[in-house]
Amino acid sequence: MTNANADGSLLLAVESSCDETGIAVIAGGRRILSNVVASQTALHAGTGGIVPEVAARAHLRWIVPVLDQALADAGIGLDDVDAVAVTHGPGLAGSLLVGINFAKTLAWVHDKPLVGVNHLEGHLYAAWLTDPGDDDREEPIFPLVALIVSGGHTFLVEMRDHLTYRLLGQTVDDAAGEAFDKVGRLLGLPYPGGPE
Amino acid sequence: MSAGGSTGASPAMRAAGHDGRRAWLLTIDTATSQVVVAAAAVDGTLLGVSTWAAGRTHGAQLLPAIGRLTGENNLRRSRIAGVIVGTGPGAFTGLRVGIATAKALAHELNIPIVGVSTGAALLAASGAGERAVLVVPAGPNDRHIVRHAGAPVLLPGGSDPDLAEDEVLVAVDLAGRAPADASERGERARTAFPAALARLGAARLAAGDEDDLARLVP
Ligand SMILES: [Zn+2]
Repeated sequence: MTNANADGSLLLAVESSCDETGIAVIAGGRRILSNVVASQTALHAGTGGIVPEVAARAHLRWIVPVLDQALADAGIGLDDVDAVAVTHGPGLAGSLLVGINFAKTLAWVHDKPLVGVNHLEGHLYAAWLTDPGDDDREEPIFPLVALIVSGGHTFLVEMRDHLTYRLLGQTVDDAAGEAFDKVGRLLGLPYPGGPE
Repeated sequence: MSAGGSTGASPAMRAAGHDGRRAWLLTIDTATSQVVVAAAAVDGTLLGVSTWAAGRTHGAQLLPAIGRLTGENNLRRSRIAGVIVGTGPGAFTGLRVGIATAKALAHELNIPIVGVSTGAALLAASGAGERAVLVVPAGPNDRHIVRHAGAPVLLPGGSDPDLAEDEVLVAVDLAGRAPADASERGERARTAFPAALARLGAARLAAGDEDDLARLVP
């Protein structure tokens, strides 16, 4: 991982743990070549929250177009990638299954390695990525402290090296994002809570 | 569990062998308690079948089973000419695994996909004629009722299917929750199901009636 920006490896990454179907192509572990997300926000707006059955079905509906767009944006085919990564949890069981089985089959057809990734580690490692067009920049320097604030999780974590974590603190009840949505509902704001 | 137990190909078919170059159709159904993976000729004739109890690990067994089926029947993955996938009604978890897998295969092999109603294939396989009515579980308490050429209708737990006098009930995965004769017809339907699914899918593929890969959902 420390040499990641020096090598030219290509990774296809699949995410379907909640209400977004996302597929990205990453070069050298850091450079985003494409990052396509189909969001279900509008789909769940009527119920003021995510309905698991509806979410899983939407993943099945959008995963192929998202893959096509991600490959087209990166200008590659599956044969060009060195490995396939997929979120294996935590998340909605039915939604996770769609991405996992889709990614697994992509890897199987092309005899590529498959890597299961924890969704929260994915959030942390977003800090290492550089957007298309951005200049290269230094990697974050260890030791470091990372804060994850999302719809499902609120964590403060110490990292002394890659893939080593020490939990420093977390929410004692709702995740920050959940609290945000609940307050939004109380105030009568549309889902997700915030300005229209 | 008998994962990989391969049956269904007649001795004559096996003796004839394949040269590994013939085009074939991959058939997958994960809607019932028995996962079905089958290889069929492009005319729908079964070449080989593998079935096993679904359990909790669909996802772990599907690709290895497809790999074994391919090898045992001297077929090649690269020669799959179409994917036929059962679309239920049935277990949500299984359907997601099966359809996600089928979509990725069709996409990467650049071949057509057809979704076939698991219910229609079970009715065709039941041998109970046009008046057959299929009943399958829908979640822990409810059931789905399927009639020929009809969409599945949800039957809430506790209520009984409203059958006409000449209709014949076929129950699958409802042992102890359906009349014994209906469950017996269900077991017969299960036996002939892979062939029925392959035949229905092959007919649609032959007619050029494939599904939109993106839009296909259970
Ligand atoms: Zn997240």
